[in-house]
Amino acid sequence: MHSSTSSFKREIPSLPWRGITVTVAVGVLVAVAAWEVYCRSLGYEPTLNDTDDLWAEARRHVEPESVVIIGDSRAWFDSDLDELERGLGRRPVQLALPGAGPYPVLEDLASEERFHGTVICSVVPGLFFAPAGPPMQRPSGAVKRFHGQTWAQRISHQISVPIERSFAFLKQEDLTMAALLLELPIPDRPNAQVPPRTPPYFCSIDRERRARMFEQAARPGPLQEKIKGRWLRLFTPPPPPSFVPPDIFAANVKEAIEARFKNTKAAIEKLRARGGKIVFVRFPMTGPLKEHEDKFTPRAQTWEPLLQATGTPGIYFEDFPELLSFNCPEWSHLSAGDSVEFTKRLVPHLRKALQL
Amino acid sequence: MLFNSLTFVVFFLVVLAAYWTMRSWEARKNLLLVASYIFYGAWNPPFAALLFATTALDFYLGRKMGKLQEPRERRLWLIISVAVNLSMLGFFKYGNFLLENFQWVLARGGIQYKPPHLDVFLPIGISFYTFHSLSYTLDIYRGVMRPTRSLRDFTLAVSFFPQLVAGPIVRAGDFLPQLDAPPKNEKGRFLWGLALMTLGLFEKVVLADTMLSGAADRVFDHGGPLVALDSWTGVMAFAGQIFFDFAGYSTCAIGAALCLGFHLKDNFRFPYAAIGFSDFWRRWHISLSTFLRDYLYIPLGGNRLGAARAMVNLIIVMFIGGLWHGAAWTFVVWGLLHGSYLAIERLIKALVKEKPWTEHFGVKLLIGLTTYLAVLIAWVYFRAANFEVASRMIGGMFGRHPTGDAILSTREILQVAIVTVFLLAAHWALRDISLETAVVRLPRWTVTTIWFLMACAIILTQGNSNAFIYFQF
Repeated sequence: MHSSTSSFKREIPSLPWRGITVTVAVGVLVAVAAWEVYCRSLGYEPTLNDTDDLWAEARRHVEPESVVIIGDSRAWFDSDLDELERGLGRRPVQLALPGAGPYPVLEDLASEERFHGTVICSVVPGLFFAPAGPPMQRPSGAVKRFHGQTWAQRISHQISVPIERSFAFLKQEDLTMAALLLELPIPDRPNAQVPPRTPPYFCSIDRERRARMFEQAARPGPLQEKIKGRWLRLFTPPPPPSFVPPDIFAANVKEAIEARFKNTKAAIEKLRARGGKIVFVRFPMTGPLKEHEDKFTPRAQTWEPLLQATGTPGIYFEDFPELLSFNCPEWSHLSAGDSVEFTKRLVPHLRKALQL
Repeated sequence: MLFNSLTFVVFFLVVLAAYWTMRSWEARKNLLLVASYIFYGAWNPPFAALLFATTALDFYLGRKMGKLQEPRERRLWLIISVAVNLSMLGFFKYGNFLLENFQWVLARGGIQYKPPHLDVFLPIGISFYTFHSLSYTLDIYRGVMRPTRSLRDFTLAVSFFPQLVAGPIVRAGDFLPQLDAPPKNEKGRFLWGLALMTLGLFEKVVLADTMLSGAADRVFDHGGPLVALDSWTGVMAFAGQIFFDFAGYSTCAIGAALCLGFHLKDNFRFPYAAIGFSDFWRRWHISLSTFLRDYLYIPLGGNRLGAARAMVNLIIVMFIGGLWHGAAWTFVVWGLLHGSYLAIERLIKALVKEKPWTEHFGVKLLIGLTTYLAVLIAWVYFRAANFEVASRMIGGMFGRHPTGDAILSTREILQVAIVTVFLLAAHWALRDISLETAVVRLPRWTVTTIWFLMACAIILTQGNSNAFIYFQF
């Protein structure tokens, strides 16, 4: 028998709870239905969210001899898995992440003793050499989730997949409360160092993480303009921090870039020692964004030294007329249709670079 | 398993359905025990074994103590219980901290020693369940309760899933009596439990994660000095975030327990309307402050040994309270600041005594706002990654960096301001009553509308499963 130190009872508010609950439940159902209809009227369709759990699921599909795509959103949008499977003989695993540099994923693959497959690595210099910040956080977080994913997280992911496939409003990039608050037209203080906003939702994603540009973004219109409007600021290097003297900051950046070269080389050597292969790819970009990237991250100072330092083959879209002839509707990615054709044309170059 | 995850929604629905369809009380308790271990094991299954081991040991030691009359013999078993529990906590939570400090001390003496880094993974909620379990042997030793005969009941009391990983710290003496018989029917209990769960989730996913965490993170993670507006906004954002995060978890826990027919005590009572620091600790993390009061402050002598000793005791207790939150000196400073606040308050109270003017609302409001301000300053040390960040933040708050960076958007500042005003107004409006009393006083349509809006807001945030801050403690 227990000797009670407490016979505590919480007070239950005396209200007609059954009626209140039914009213709330019906109200929520109606509100959700109305919100769903409104989101669809804006052009949104049900699609999966590119979460760390979805990435971890794809990462689990990496076999010792897999073909793996890593890097940024260009590899994510522009690579067609069917065409790559047809051309390379293996269905690739899509591990590229939007807004991400490839290094954390490359390092993770290089550290996996059993992996000796092929890596197709997209290079956007601004992301590839970013020492920290979102380009490193997103892939590092995904890798961390893969290694530390709990059963609860895996089950939540499995439950979320059919729900996300059914409702258009479940779009985390655009339609969460946080994303909607970001869109409020409130001017900032003139000196405020507010990070640039990422472009709105413009692709659908399937279970293999194949991204396809949304039709509305592929044709001229307000969505496309909105996306274009955000690239230039996003791809402009941030000003040096006010609290670090410029010469020290420049030295730190130089050191970080050198470290990235060194670490990338070490990861590639580790991979190659096990028989793995890697190829760098510069996917298409067009318009003012291309001019912008060429100005801030010129090929001669980024791409060429990277190939040289790592002794890795590379495919730069500009070097081949059949890869250069594509137009990126919003300057940075190919439309869903063009991505298939582009991949078809890319395959022979990949085979050659990888000596297949 | 997080309350704000789809796994928990399914888990809870299954548990509820099975629990309320079972007739046998013993079977229901077995179900809750299995469910609690699944809830815990979903993070890291091996740690469920650790949880059971400490529980079983305290059960055994409690029985041993219960059979003895001689205080000295009882004390021996209590010492074993306290030593084992705190050693476990010490190893997992403070191992590296102790080694680093040992290294620092040796280095001051000119000895260079590099200890190996202990690559230990902190079992989630260990600070909470250690205290759940310890309260049992401590209460048996104090003669407040007798040991239970049922290992199953005690294991369930320690591991009951709503309060297992982030509190409230439910004492065995409060929970075990509720396992004697099945809960009686109480009108509205289940649905009020659901309403509380909605409120808790709203506090967590909407207010803490969506409205406040962004500004707090950006300010505290910034590498340089900030202007006063951004510094204050960041600290107020964190003050709101940690309240909504932790109180949200406690409210969910209380609601989930109610849905299963169990009654857990309040863990928060509108703390930002506290008038003074002793009042603050009667309202903030009540289950921890009462635990420290009953098992540490009073055994140290409390206020029975004179004013000076009482002040020293307060500072010792808050030092331990700070360290309980994390293995870092910043947490210790946070605790010591609160200890000093309590000691100074005691001194002022002794000087001023109960003068009639202290009862004036304006005076109370002034003291309340001063309390809030002092609590904000202490939060800086709680949140800052190190003392460099903390001192930079304090400098920014008091205008030492007029040319510092402005990093928050106007939207972020507005979000923090609106939520903080709402938070303070709600706490002041409700400070002398309970949430339940406030709900009864509201018109039915208002309660319905508030519940509806909270549910819609939760769905709109699409719950991104951020872990609760207190999980790391």
